[in-house]
Amino acid sequence: MKYISSAFAVMLAGLALTTPVDAKTLRINVTGDPAMMDPITYSEIIAGRVIRNVYEGFTDYTPDGKIINVLAESWTALPGEHGFRFNLRKNVKFHSGRAFTAKDVKYTMEQLAAPDTKAGLGAGYVANIVGVAEVKAGTTKELSGIKIVDDHTIEVRFTKPDVLFPIYPIWFMDSGIVAEKGADWVRTVSAGTGPYKFKEWRRGVHVEIEANKAYWAGSPKIDGIRFLVIPSGDTALSQYEAGELDFLDVQENTLRRVMRDASKQKERHVVPRAQSRYLGMNANVYAPFKDKRVREAISMAINRDAMIRGFYDNAAFQLHGVTTPGVAGYFADLPKPKYDPEGAKKLLAEAGYPGGRGLPPIDITCTAVFKDELTYYANELNRTLGMQVNVNVAERATFIRGMNAGEIAFFPWGWTSGYPDAMYYLQQMWHSKSPYNRGRWSNAKYDALIDEAVGTVDNEKRFALYRQAEMVYIEDMGAAPLPMPANVALIKPNVTNASITPFGFDRFIATEIK
Amino acid sequence: MLRFVVWRLVMIVPVLAVVLVATFLATYALPGDPVMVMLGDHSSNEEMAARLRAEYGLDRPMWKQFAVYVGGILTGDFGMSYRYVRIPVVEVLQDGLKISPLLALAALGLGASVGTLAGVIAAIRRNTATDTAIILVLVAGLSIPNFAVATFLVYAFAIKLGVLPVAGWGRLDQTVLPVLILTIPSAAYIARLTRTFMLEVLGQDYIRTARAKGLSEPVVILRHALRNIMVPLLTSMGIIFGGLISGTFVVETIFNIPGLGRMAIDSVFARDYPVAMAIVMLFTAFFVLINLLVDVAYAIIDPRIRQRMVPA
Repeated sequence: MKYISSAFAVMLAGLALTTPVDAKTLRINVTGDPAMMDPITYSEIIAGRVIRNVYEGFTDYTPDGKIINVLAESWTALPGEHGFRFNLRKNVKFHSGRAFTAKDVKYTMEQLAAPDTKAGLGAGYVANIVGVAEVKAGTTKELSGIKIVDDHTIEVRFTKPDVLFPIYPIWFMDSGIVAEKGADWVRTVSAGTGPYKFKEWRRGVHVEIEANKAYWAGSPKIDGIRFLVIPSGDTALSQYEAGELDFLDVQENTLRRVMRDASKQKERHVVPRAQSRYLGMNANVYAPFKDKRVREAISMAINRDAMIRGFYDNAAFQLHGVTTPGVAGYFADLPKPKYDPEGAKKLLAEAGYPGGRGLPPIDITCTAVFKDELTYYANELNRTLGMQVNVNVAERATFIRGMNAGEIAFFPWGWTSGYPDAMYYLQQMWHSKSPYNRGRWSNAKYDALIDEAVGTVDNEKRFALYRQAEMVYIEDMGAAPLPMPANVALIKPNVTNASITPFGFDRFIATEIK
Repeated sequence: MLRFVVWRLVMIVPVLAVVLVATFLATYALPGDPVMVMLGDHSSNEEMAARLRAEYGLDRPMWKQFAVYVGGILTGDFGMSYRYVRIPVVEVLQDGLKISPLLALAALGLGASVGTLAGVIAAIRRNTATDTAIILVLVAGLSIPNFAVATFLVYAFAIKLGVLPVAGWGRLDQTVLPVLILTIPSAAYIARLTRTFMLEVLGQDYIRTARAKGLSEPVVILRHALRNIMVPLLTSMGIIFGGLISGTFVVETIFNIPGLGRMAIDSVFARDYPVAMAIVMLFTAFFVLINLLVDVAYAIIDPRIRQRMVPA
């Protein structure tokens, strides 16, 4: 008994001693630890959310998808060649105090190409630079396609057109960091130029970054940002309600609760997500999908308005075709998919399957998270079109591998953009040569338009090509567009200039806590 | 005694070996491919997939992977985490290792003290209002699942009253609710056992003799009754510890505590097999060790057991 009472006494003493978090540290939730904290191996969303505030590239984008120049003051296409000349920003310093110059740009790109650095997503963005093959093979460490003109001017040449290169999220790192801190530098310091620098990572608890007082565009107004690792959406919501978080990235399992709670209306921020969602129909696996009328009938049998209300409590947006609001090259005036059950029946009958007769049974496949949605499609298509659709819940990695191999006939899935230009969706999702074309829809006219766009530097001309290509996709019903869930955040009223964007969180450069 | 302890320690090795083989086979049988999980949306990138497979040795035949894994463990190397780039499993587990055993032991200690006390009181005051009240609380503590209790307590103390934090780890006030929730079922279990055993013992002749000798009631209860129920109570400790291990999975998830339980769940979802396997091994070792301690405690309490324990 003595022990118990003394244990309680210690606990109560502890309660009195608890130190509140500094009021000027922004506390925000992430669902897991970042897998890495450096811009070379960077390959996943959570790491990106942290690293974006620590490292910078040539450009960045605003919450509405406008490109802004960051470490590149300007750039011009190299006349008669595939490539760009970049004029770099002057008077920029790394967190180490060393000046940012052209050699750091070259070093970063060489690290991304090198065979032994475990380079992540960035490796794909430098893949077209001249000399990458040699660096990958290990015969040289230097990229022959990069030429340092002077400290603040650099030229990059490609083996084929790569007009979006300036907006790729390639984040530059301090080329002197390994010499100063050793190969393990990433555990103790950050090597970027961004508004925040690495402070502490307690695995499973939080990652904290602190203001870079010497930031070239002026020091942030808060002391730092603490990304709290909270896997459970419910726990995160409770922590926000109890004042333990200033900014809540709302998870899908609590979305409806947050949307229905009128008391949270003022703190709620709802924006479209940079994620193109579709119902894939692979004609190589299920022959009736070869007929455009079958694909169209399926699309017309889906009541998207009801889905947006029922599944998302209105926290979702309707897509026209492939592109999403907030990326350059999105057109809001394209025709939206129609809901017309009677028309759908007629189309299916014209295709030779009146009342669904003659259609072999088909599985609709996705991961467990989407099982309600799968059930909805299966019921709706059976009720309206007489199709026999079986729900098939698959393990995620097996499912993705199946889609990539073109083995899955019928599935809802999405594609999240890596940068704010519609090319990301248009080329990767539906060009017939793309490894990510999971529905295996193939259209020569579409391919030709995209191929032309890839080599078109001028934005307006390129966007016009996107528009034509997206119309081809819509008219041929490459896949049935699905509602895209919103990104939803709750932000305390005393926090200003912090926002959720189609891509996640905006950089917290100007964030203030009152 | 020493021979007994050494013998039991030696017997841990085959137990761990069986668990090792079983978990290794289980990770093989699970659907999902760690490389595909690592690559996420980019799993069509065959070149990167092949590179990762080679790097983690996943392109080798199964027996070879197993041999390398066992070889590593014998030298204290549990391999590299699949999920955290360039971080060894041992380092991933380090922090959790400071948390979960502490949580479980705190709950065990607190549960044993409170439970025994409540059980003794209930037994002494049997068939009175006190007894009924204690039994009611016990039944509730045993039958309401801990995640329900946790949700209620968080709502009451953290959100409505605002006196305790909702979740997290690192400060003392963050330990109150998790320890409390782990303690409730173990305390209830121990109290129920204590009450039953006490009632039985209190009816024995030697208790009547002790009372007849004129010993005071506290001495009768503490020295004569309680000591005799220690052996069956201790047996239950081993079982309770097993329950506490699974309890940490739930409590650490609800309270967002970076312990081994939450880590185990996260690592299974992330297909971080080296971490998941190491945690299973660790929990097995804890469980076996606690049961060993229980057996040693038997021998200390009851000399008769000491004689029977060592194999001839």
